[in-house]
Amino acid sequence: MDDLSALTAAIEVGDRTTAVALARAAVESGVDTREVLGAMTGAMEVVGKRFQCNEIYVPEMLIAARAMKESMAVLEPVLVKAGIRPEHTAVIGTIKGDLHDIGKNLVAMMWKGANIGVVDLGTDVSPEQFVAAAQEHHADIVGVSALLTTTMVGMKDVVVALREADLSGIKVVIGGAPVTREFADQIGADGFATDAGGAVEAVKHALAS
Amino acid sequence: MRLAALTCEVLARSVYLCAARSPHVVDVRLNRRGLHDDPPNLRAILQAELDVTGPPYDAVVLAYGLCGGATAGLRAGSIPLVVPRAHDCITLFLGDRARYQAEFVGNPGTYWYVQDYLERTDEGSAFGGVGAVSDAAARATHQEYIEKYGEDNAAYLMEMLGAWRSHYNRAAFVEMSIAPEQAAEAAERRARDDANRRGWRFDRLAGELVLIKGLIDGAWDPADYLVLQPGERLAMSYGEDVIRAEGAPAG
Repeated sequence: MDDLSALTAAIEVGDRTTAVALARAAVESGVDTREVLGAMTGAMEVVGKRFQCNEIYVPEMLIAARAMKESMAVLEPVLVKAGIRPEHTAVIGTIKGDLHDIGKNLVAMMWKGANIGVVDLGTDVSPEQFVAAAQEHHADIVGVSALLTTTMVGMKDVVVALREADLSGIKVVIGGAPVTREFADQIGADGFATDAGGAVEAVKHALAS
Repeated sequence: MRLAALTCEVLARSVYLCAARSPHVVDVRLNRRGLHDDPPNLRAILQAELDVTGPPYDAVVLAYGLCGGATAGLRAGSIPLVVPRAHDCITLFLGDRARYQAEFVGNPGTYWYVQDYLERTDEGSAFGGVGAVSDAAARATHQEYIEKYGEDNAAYLMEMLGAWRSHYNRAAFVEMSIAPEQAAEAAERRARDDANRRGWRFDRLAGELVLIKGLIDGAWDPADYLVLQPGERLAMSYGEDVIRAEGAPAG
C-alpha cells in the first residue's frame, strides 16, 4: 500500500495519529498537493457512502471526520501557498429554535472533507443571520439543519429571506431526520439530506441544478 | 365505542386515568419510552399494532405526537385511527399546542421532565428527562467505544455526543396532579436534582389532561385531532395543524 492509500485508509477508520503523520510525510516529501487532497477527500466520500448504506454509524463518521480535519490542517498552509482554494463556500447552521447540532456538525465536517469552504454559524440561527453571513462570506451554498418537526417549518423563512435579499443564486440545502423531499420542494430548497452521509451528494446535486 | 389506545409509557398515568373515566370501553397498550430515538423503528412497531387491530374495536386512538416523524406514514388499519395534532408528547402534557409553541419560542433550551418518564427510568439511573440517555447507558456506551475505537476516540465521541447539554439552560417539570403526593414529590425531586447537577434553572409547570381526555373520550374536535379512515395514512402538514391525511398507496 503506498502512502496515499494508507492516508486514505487511516482517515476512513478514524486513526488520526497515523493520518496526520502520513499527511505530514506526504507534504514534506513533496507529493503533489492535489493528490494528497484527493486521497483525503476520497476517504470521506467512502465514509459518506458507507454511512448511507448503514455499514457504519455516527461514531465511525465522527472519528473519520476528526482524522480528516486534523490531516487537512497539515495540508492547508500548502494549499494556500499553491493558491488552491475550495471551489465553493457554504454557510451552515441549525434553524432558529433548534439547538441540536450533532447532525449539523457532521455535515460541516463532511462538506469540508469534500473541499467545500464552510462557515459554521452554530445553533439557533435566524433567517437574517443566514442572509448576513451568506453576503459576508460570498457563499454559494446555505445549509440549514433541524432535528425537530417543531422547528423544521422555519426553514422556509430562510429560503424566503435569501430570495428577498436578492440572493436567489445561492443554493439552499436543508437537512435533518424529519426533512423530506416533499418538504424541500414545498419550501423551494435546492436540495435535502436526511443525514450527513447524503449531504455531500445533496450539495453536488444542488450545485449542478 | 370500544377503543384501543396505543400509547407511549411516558403517558401511562394520564392515559390510564382517562381510560378509567371514559364513557367508552378502552383497552390500553403501552410501548416502551424512548422509541422516538429511532423513528423508523417506532413507526414499524406502531404499524404492526395497527395492522392487527380491528373489530370489535371501533377505532384506534394513538397517544403519540409526530415524535420526530415516527408517526408520519402510518396507515390506518381496518378501523379509523385517531391522532392528536401534536409535534411530541410535551404538547399532550401541556394540553395545548399553542402553549407548547410559546414555551418553545420563549425557552428553546428547555429540557422536559414528567412523572412517568422519571419513575420508569432504568435501574440505577440518575437521569430521567424526556428522551434522556441514562447515566448507566452512557457509561456502557463509553466502554463500548473504548473497545471499538480506543481511549482517544472514545473520549472524543463522548464529548461530541454529549455536547447538546451545553445548549440547554432550563429544566421544566410538568406536574399532571395525578400521582399521589409522595410519588409526585419524588419525581419532582429527581428533576430538581438533575437540574442542579447540570446548572439549569428549574421551573414547575402545571399540566393539563384535556388533550388526552378528549382523545380517550372520543371528543375528536378536528382542530385538535386527525381522524384517519381505512385507506388513509398520516402525513406531516408542515403547518400549524401539524398533520394531515392522505391516500395510502395500495399494498
